[in-house]
Amino acid sequence: MTNNDSKAPMLDLFVFETNQMLEQLERLILDSEKSGGLEVAINEVFRIMHTLKGSAAMMMFNDISSLAHSLEDVFYYLREAKPQRVDYSELTDLVLNAVDFIKGEVIKVESGGNPDGDCSEVSGKNRGFLSALKETDPNLTDASEKSNNESENQLSIGVSNISEEQGKIRYEAAIYFDEDCGMENIRAFTLVHELSEFAEDIVHSPNDILENDNTSEVIRKEGFKIAFATQNSLEILQDFFCKTMFLKEFNMNVVEAASIKQTRNKTIVLDDPIPDESMNCTTKKVEQQTEGTQSFISVNVSKMDMLMDLVGELVIAEAMVTQNPELQGLRLDKFYKSARQLRKITSELQDTVMSIRMVPLSATFHKMNRIVRDMVRKLNKQAELEIIGEQTEVDKNIIESISDPLMHLIRNAVDHGIEPARERIAQGKPEVGKIRLEAKSAGGDVLIMIQDDGGGLNKEKILRKALERGLIETEEISLTDSQIYSFILQPGFSTNDTVTEFSGRGVGMDVVAKNIEKVGGTISVDSLEGGGTTISIRIPLTLAIIDGMNVKVGGSIYTIPIIAIKESFRLKEQNLIKDTDNNEMIMIRGECHPVLRLYERFQVQAAVKELKEGIMVMVEADGKGICLFVDSLLGQQQVVVKALPTYIKKRPGIAGCTLLGDGGVSLILDVAGLNS
Amino acid sequence: MKLLIVDDAVFIRLTLKMMLEKNGYQVIGEAANGSEAILKYNELKPDLVTMDITMPQMDGITALKAIKRMDPSAKVVMISALGQESTVKEAIVSGASGFIVKPFVEEQVLRGLSKFKIATEAL
Amino acid sequence: MPEIAANELEVGEDTQKDKFLTFSLGTEVYGIEIKFVTEIIGMQFVTEIPDLPEYVKGIINLRGKIIPVIDVRLRFKKVYREYNDRTCIVVVDIKDVTVGLIVDAVDEVLIIGEQEIVLPPQFDNGSYHQHFIKGIGKVGKDVKLILDSDRLLSDNEINSLERVC
Repeated sequence: MTNNDSKAPMLDLFVFETNQMLEQLERLILDSEKSGGLEVAINEVFRIMHTLKGSAAMMMFNDISSLAHSLEDVFYYLREAKPQRVDYSELTDLVLNAVDFIKGEVIKVESGGNPDGDCSEVSGKNRGFLSALKETDPNLTDASEKSNNESENQLSIGVSNISEEQGKIRYEAAIYFDEDCGMENIRAFTLVHELSEFAEDIVHSPNDILENDNTSEVIRKEGFKIAFATQNSLEILQDFFCKTMFLKEFNMNVVEAASIKQTRNKTIVLDDPIPDESMNCTTKKVEQQTEGTQSFISVNVSKMDMLMDLVGELVIAEAMVTQNPELQGLRLDKFYKSARQLRKITSELQDTVMSIRMVPLSATFHKMNRIVRDMVRKLNKQAELEIIGEQTEVDKNIIESISDPLMHLIRNAVDHGIEPARERIAQGKPEVGKIRLEAKSAGGDVLIMIQDDGGGLNKEKILRKALERGLIETEEISLTDSQIYSFILQPGFSTNDTVTEFSGRGVGMDVVAKNIEKVGGTISVDSLEGGGTTISIRIPLTLAIIDGMNVKVGGSIYTIPIIAIKESFRLKEQNLIKDTDNNEMIMIRGECHPVLRLYERFQVQAAVKELKEGIMVMVEADGKGICLFVDSLLGQQQVVVKALPTYIKKRPGIAGCTLLGDGGVSLILDVAGLNS
Repeated sequence: MKLLIVDDAVFIRLTLKMMLEKNGYQVIGEAANGSEAILKYNELKPDLVTMDITMPQMDGITALKAIKRMDPSAKVVMISALGQESTVKEAIVSGASGFIVKPFVEEQVLRGLSKFKIATEAL
Repeated sequence: MPEIAANELEVGEDTQKDKFLTFSLGTEVYGIEIKFVTEIIGMQFVTEIPDLPEYVKGIINLRGKIIPVIDVRLRFKKVYREYNDRTCIVVVDIKDVTVGLIVDAVDEVLIIGEQEIVLPPQFDNGSYHQHFIKGIGKVGKDVKLILDSDRLLSDNEINSLERVC
């Protein structure tokens, strides 16, 4: 099977399914590790390994297949022989190693490469584990014999008296099966079984086709020879043999009665089938323990994106109809009533489509379990991960972007945050460090927090490092704690004296910050020396369709997200003040807010320059409020956020653009970006 | 000839389906486990069933027996892996019409199933 | 004029070899391989984006897709000329980047075989546009300056601006 062209569509499905299974497997292993027993999961792990083996073999990925096979054998043995002393911890490591290997190979395959990894070392360890199990298990020989006896058929055939008077003819046949059809001994058995329906005195060679799998080899080389007696004619028998699956050729002839010898009577005994109910019960239990079987379908992401785009365009088109300038001033009660109904339906459609793209964070969060486990073992520390709010949903795009940052932050927490057990005890802290990964939705955003109860950040060290790197002039500048802590988000910043395998090189936090920013989020750091560190990430929930206020600045139109607007008003002279640098500020209810003249900021020809003649829109992001000066407000509109074309790199202050009802383009402001 | 494909791996089902449909077989249904197989068999009455042995919730052997009870003339071909000799034997004893060993190649599958095709077409 | 171009564009890929769309900036005529041209539209309102190089005029709405537009005159550091009703936007798609090129006027689609294209001479007068020319095509008595599409969209300048911000 080397028709590579037909493999391509299969590849996607193979990758998808394999990744799903690996994820399931990992979750299964880690969960059962926590609850103290891998036993309940044995059956399911076996099944997953079996399926992985099969799928990989179909794709000719032989290393993956053979690795899965080696573990399948282990779990098969565990399931059947139920040995007493099993080192489940070692077994868990073996499985996780296999998972890692296969993950790596799948990544290679996904990006169009070849799975050229050599699994022999990993497979070897698995096989070694199995042999060790077999050796040390006192019940072994009994079990295997027992199982052999149970499953062994006592197929013994004999020859009885030839009774030609009953009209039976004796035949002999030699059967050859197709090359590579597999399990020739069982195929031979199939033949015997079917033959026994209308024939008797069946003798065959090889004799022990069921007990001895090596007979397959004999049958391949020499064919399967069988002799039997039946009333049926040669033609009928030929017909019968021709219908055999994978039959390559056969010869058959009638046997002369005289040449048959008489021997003792034996009967054909086929043992009863093994009862399956017990197996099914345990399987069911495990199934219920794992993810509830809801019906899901997997949808191609590009189809989802198309759907999103269409809904977005529907929103615009709807606005173009209901807010059409031609309707100005007309009295159209029935029309507006219908328009409201249309708006309602469009709105609901929009919400539904958005919710389809929303995915719970649980899968991402659970991946962190593995990381904590691995790091804790490598670094010889003690820590456990607490996950809260995993059901919180975020847009699918965002999940992919925050996975890596989260991993890095969790690693940091274990590596730098949590102290070694002795130290913790000396400080009166509980021996096992706690890392809390929490998600919750707050307004239009999702908040994710990573909090550890470790050593916390040292302000002096940070300040000194910042001074060293020229980020601040003198140490005496009064900075808030949060400003000090946020230095660690700068590139190359690390107050670590030593570099560990996982972190300390200072290339992590700034990349984390960048990735968060890419999805429009913000990150902040808080800490208590000796008490721990908390990293908070805030990500806007949905980027795609927002409520915006259109404003006019000169000849251009901008859209400000409603959610960021606190209030808008016309300025009264007395509230305007200037600070020491001659920056304009407005005093509102005792607080000072800087003024930002948008026409200046965006270098647009201004129509209105007098602050009193335009409108002030007070916006807030991250607790800081500024007043944007615009010519006039044009009205509220639901806008579809379209990203700026990639050719135009991201501009601070601009979140994207949108198509207006009249076909023009408006730039959507990013208030947080304007603030900087 | 109308087929029902039973295997818990979507990937395998799709591969088999593609192989078969390319060669004139008609895949009228799929099932991901034994219980689904029984339901689908009843509903669709296929000419032939390909049945994977290892599946969750209900394995291939149990499903085979149930189908044979419902319809003794049912033609079920087991899909097994090397090493499952005793299970396959049990399947044969329980009425399976034959078996194909994984991993399978197109030519092999077609040769194996060809016997059944002729049979149904002769009807 | 746009109609002719549109018809030419419907032709299949193989027959697009050696075909160039020519447009003019003042007295000079440039050619770009037709395989990169997706459509030609008249001038329309451009939404400005702040802090960009002068030649990036902004973005336009092309049937729902937002694409950036470049004023080719400014890109080649020529004198800016007011847009009029002959001004066109040539929409090109080069290596998955879609950009609109604002040109004075679009001429025609010409077939210029490889043998008629020579390498540009190394001018010393430092005409800025030579940076973007990959060949000189001879058509009758005229010369057409064949554009290097990759260079046209290379955004080294934008990159350096980014870092400054």
